[in-house]
Amino acid sequence: MIKTAWRLAALKNGFQDAIAYRIEFLFEILGAAFVPAAIQWVLWYALFRIGGAERVAGMTYGDMVQYTLTSLLFTQIRGGDNDFELAEMVRSGQLSNYLLRPVGVVEFVYIRGVAPKLMLAGICLLLGSGVGLFFGLSPLRMAAGMLLALVGNVIHYQVGAALATTAFLWEESYAVLMVKNLIVSLLSGELIPLNLFPASLQWIWKSTPFYLYVFGPTQVALGRWSCATFAGHLAIACAWMLFGWMLIRVTWGMGIKRYSSIGG
Amino acid sequence: MRIRRYLEIYRVQIKNNWVREAVYRANFLTAIMVDLVWIGVEFSLFSVIYANTDELAGWTRSQTYFFLGMFFASDALFTTLFQRNFWNFSDLVNKGELDILLTKPVHPLFLSLSRWINLTAVFNIFLGLAIVIRYAHSAGFEGGWRWLLVAFWLLMGLFVQILLRFAFSIWIFWTERSFALSRLYYQFYAFATKPDRLFPRMIRYLVLTALPFAFIGSVPARALLHGLEWDEFFRLLLVLAAFYALNAFLWRRGLKRYQSASS
Repeated sequence: MIKTAWRLAALKNGFQDAIAYRIEFLFEILGAAFVPAAIQWVLWYALFRIGGAERVAGMTYGDMVQYTLTSLLFTQIRGGDNDFELAEMVRSGQLSNYLLRPVGVVEFVYIRGVAPKLMLAGICLLLGSGVGLFFGLSPLRMAAGMLLALVGNVIHYQVGAALATTAFLWEESYAVLMVKNLIVSLLSGELIPLNLFPASLQWIWKSTPFYLYVFGPTQVALGRWSCATFAGHLAIACAWMLFGWMLIRVTWGMGIKRYSSIGG
Repeated sequence: MRIRRYLEIYRVQIKNNWVREAVYRANFLTAIMVDLVWIGVEFSLFSVIYANTDELAGWTRSQTYFFLGMFFASDALFTTLFQRNFWNFSDLVNKGELDILLTKPVHPLFLSLSRWINLTAVFNIFLGLAIVIRYAHSAGFEGGWRWLLVAFWLLMGLFVQILLRFAFSIWIFWTERSFALSRLYYQFYAFATKPDRLFPRMIRYLVLTALPFAFIGSVPARALLHGLEWDEFFRLLLVLAAFYALNAFLWRRGLKRYQSASS
């Protein structure tokens, strides 16, 4: 009972934060949604409209635009800066406050930080299902895509939280997280559909969990993955989640032993 | 005399920053690592696109890489000289630290925007220039005396970034938190990472006028590779003048509104 109570309180706290800074929240959504979409559209426009290409990697201009618009819904869910918050807590010594409390710091930071993402997931799901109906997209598939995106959000945090433990060793650990985010931006399918990768390089994105953040959910929502393929990738996502959980146990266990509470 | 005073102050600022950077040596490696990955991601993105086509809106692979080199060099120049100052600008206003700068016998903006120099980013200027040199020939850059124009266009890109970043930062006099606008600036900054010829007409018009991010790397690269028409030069000057006037106006209005620590 008590275990549930602090989790709900942390979630409520996160919701209140998102609502309190409404303008910031709105700017963030606008920026995070429309600029990457515009950049993608620019590339398709140059390839197809200016360059005159008919098909690229088996996709037409319409397919590309459809991918871009649908991926917008899932780009909103991926990521978050909670891993940066963890690293900063270690670096500045604020972690000490949490070590005295009966809550897991990694979980607490995630639950508080995921609140705005859950809010966005709800809005995006409603929007996607509503608008998708006019284009023949199934709301059920949209919901399945959102589920995969939310699992992706958990994995993203787990990877970030494990990397944040470099703060126990190195003052400039934020760089590791920045590097991770840059790589994710390319390999998640946020910038381009991953099937544009040449066949010889497809293994790169397939061997990371990042494609489950945006590319996977978009493929599900657009009906380009069958139910069996979706189930397979969901199982892969669960395996990554389990791996992430173990990784956090190991890295944080080792990190806390090193922690000297005056800044790591 | 006045210029000499400013130069002397700037010399001291560089010295102080050098001492600080020498203390945080790890920061040097960090900055290089992050920027190398960023450059790698941008190159990978275009490599994937060019794996599917030979030309992108008339830009060959080498020309696009030449553009990326110009863009990275210009970005690194701004990062070295101004980026931290703009991040700290909101603190100056919110915490009332601008008070002390207003009492000094030099322009407060000079002090506000020259306090922090990120010397570690100097490496990236050279990295950007190395990319420019590597792809200059295959991109069709004629070289010779035109290499002097590279310096001119880098300075132009720097000037545009200062004007744009200032236009996004100055609103701190009216808002309590500047983080969202700064973030929005960096979202729009993505427009600077692509050649402007790629953009559809509406967006292209936008990045050449109201949000002139194309003047950071794209227009300079195009000017160096193909030359610009006179009307494009005229538009560039017009946009710069308009942004300068807008910023000057907002700065004056902002100062009137400024109420020291309670602002």
